Amino acid sequence: MSKRQLAMVMDLNKCLGCHTCTVACKQLWTQDEGMEYMWWNTVNTMPGRGTPRDWEQMGGGFGPDGQARPGRLPKRAEFGEAWKFDHEGSYYGGQGDGSHLKIKGDSPEWGPNWEEDEGGGQYPNSFHFYMPRMCNHCTHAACVEACPRGAVEKREEDGIVTVNEDRCRGYRFCQSACPYKKMYFNHQKKVAQKCVFCFPRIEQGVAPACARQCPGRVRFVGYRDDEAAPIYKLVDKWKVALPLHPEYGTEPNVFYVPPVLPVSYGPDGDIDESKPRIPDEYLVSLFGPKVLDALVTIKAEREKKRTTGESELMDLLIAYEWKNMFGGFDRSPETVSVIHWRKKS
Amino acid sequence: MKAGFVPGVPVQALLDAQAEVWRQAPSEAVALIGAPSALQPTAAVRAEFPDGRIGAVKQVAIAVLHNGSELAFRLTWQDPSADTGADGQDDVGFPDAAAILFPSRPHAPLMTMGAPGLPVTAWYWRADENGRGRQVTAEGLGTSQTVDRDQVFAQGVYGNGRWAVVIARALRAQSAGPVAQFETGAAANFSVAVWEGSHAERAGIKAISLGPLSGWHELVVDGRT
Repeated sequence: MSKRQLAMVMDLNKCLGCHTCTVACKQLWTQDEGMEYMWWNTVNTMPGRGTPRDWEQMGGGFGPDGQARPGRLPKRAEFGEAWKFDHEGSYYGGQGDGSHLKIKGDSPEWGPNWEEDEGGGQYPNSFHFYMPRMCNHCTHAACVEACPRGAVEKREEDGIVTVNEDRCRGYRFCQSACPYKKMYFNHQKKVAQKCVFCFPRIEQGVAPACARQCPGRVRFVGYRDDEAAPIYKLVDKWKVALPLHPEYGTEPNVFYVPPVLPVSYGPDGDIDESKPRIPDEYLVSLFGPKVLDALVTIKAEREKKRTTGESELMDLLIAYEWKNMFGGFDRSPETVSVIHWRKKS
Repeated sequence: MKAGFVPGVPVQALLDAQAEVWRQAPSEAVALIGAPSALQPTAAVRAEFPDGRIGAVKQVAIAVLHNGSELAFRLTWQDPSADTGADGQDDVGFPDAAAILFPSRPHAPLMTMGAPGLPVTAWYWRADENGRGRQVTAEGLGTSQTVDRDQVFAQGVYGNGRWAVVIARALRAQSAGPVAQFETGAAANFSVAVWEGSHAERAGIKAISLGPLSGWHELVVDGRT
């Protein structure tokens, strides 16, 4: 058990699916050899099969009895290879308007954002929302517990889960054990690699790049036990931020404020106030039964804000001042001496 | 088992598993069993690999030679698939591997890969690192660490549905780690392990030999000079 635990809350009502978080992470962390296919942060349209494809059916985590649940390794094709485009042929191939940008090599069958904006439901009650995912830096981390070499470590001071690449021998038990499939395998270096919660930034008071760069002010960052900061207020006080798939038993430290979409249309075309656009059972399947209470609270506080102009919860979620979202991790990245951390040689 | 003395044969020649010197060396068939699931260090590994799913390779033929300065083991076993970790095989597969284990100190236990203060030494070959072995030490389950990658020679060749792998090291090794040392004319203990990559065998998921000496086999390094 770590002394303290860093956490993140993502407000799904504000995510606009722009992937700035994903690109910020990619630029900072996964540019090296063997990392081409890695997206430590992904944003998927829900409902969907996600990335890696059908990851929710791959097992891992813990059963209701607390026992390790067998999982399987995701294949590269299930993540999707990092395909390249034929820019040369398109721009300089002499075909003019007759040439369109094509993929080099075989056509991919999946990718990190394959089902963008497909969503679910039937018109006129179709629905979708965006869900960013990253390592949950779990309290009861299946990857840490699975590794027979102790190569996956949970930092004592802040609960960030990292891979010790000097200990890692590429056995990949962590990858099958992680029920969120957010452990990646570097096929060139033959070691596991994963989101590091931007710990070199954290250590200098700077929020992770995915949070700091988010134009929608979706992400809150801070220590779980900081009662003055938004994480504690959203997770523990207001209970509107919930972990994804709590039944996996790993106690994630990334929490989601569930999406509240408009109400649905009835068969006569009139608005049906009794039915939410996103079926409750779908949100329960993602966030567990507590999501229903969270939705009630959010709707009530929205109404309160609308009618009285006063709501601590809505003011928190609106995030008028971005600095208030980061639990003190609000220094500018420009002040950080080492932004792209490299292992000391 | 006896390590036959082949004076004047350089280690580079011994690394050729099909060399004449090996054809003339007596070879002994040794049965392998799966490492027990209960001894795997983590619950996730035990859940994925119950007993019965560990130890795909059932038998290995062992021959041992030394040239006065280097000790070489040749292991051969049947394997329908060469899992070399080459392109196209590195998706969710694992490479074949083999190792010789020695006690670095007297009474170091085999089944637990040594114990605190009682290290064991492994000479490790893996098909995706062919030609370049690892010297590994351990003092208990899950504690193995590579101490060097330049003292152990390990060269495998695959053909006719069989691996033939030679793993060799100097009898006396200079090392900062607690590695096993050998003397001509003296007895030593050893065991072997084989990992079948196509069965996802890696780490403690392996087939091992169990000899009569608390699990170890005896090796006599021929003392003629």
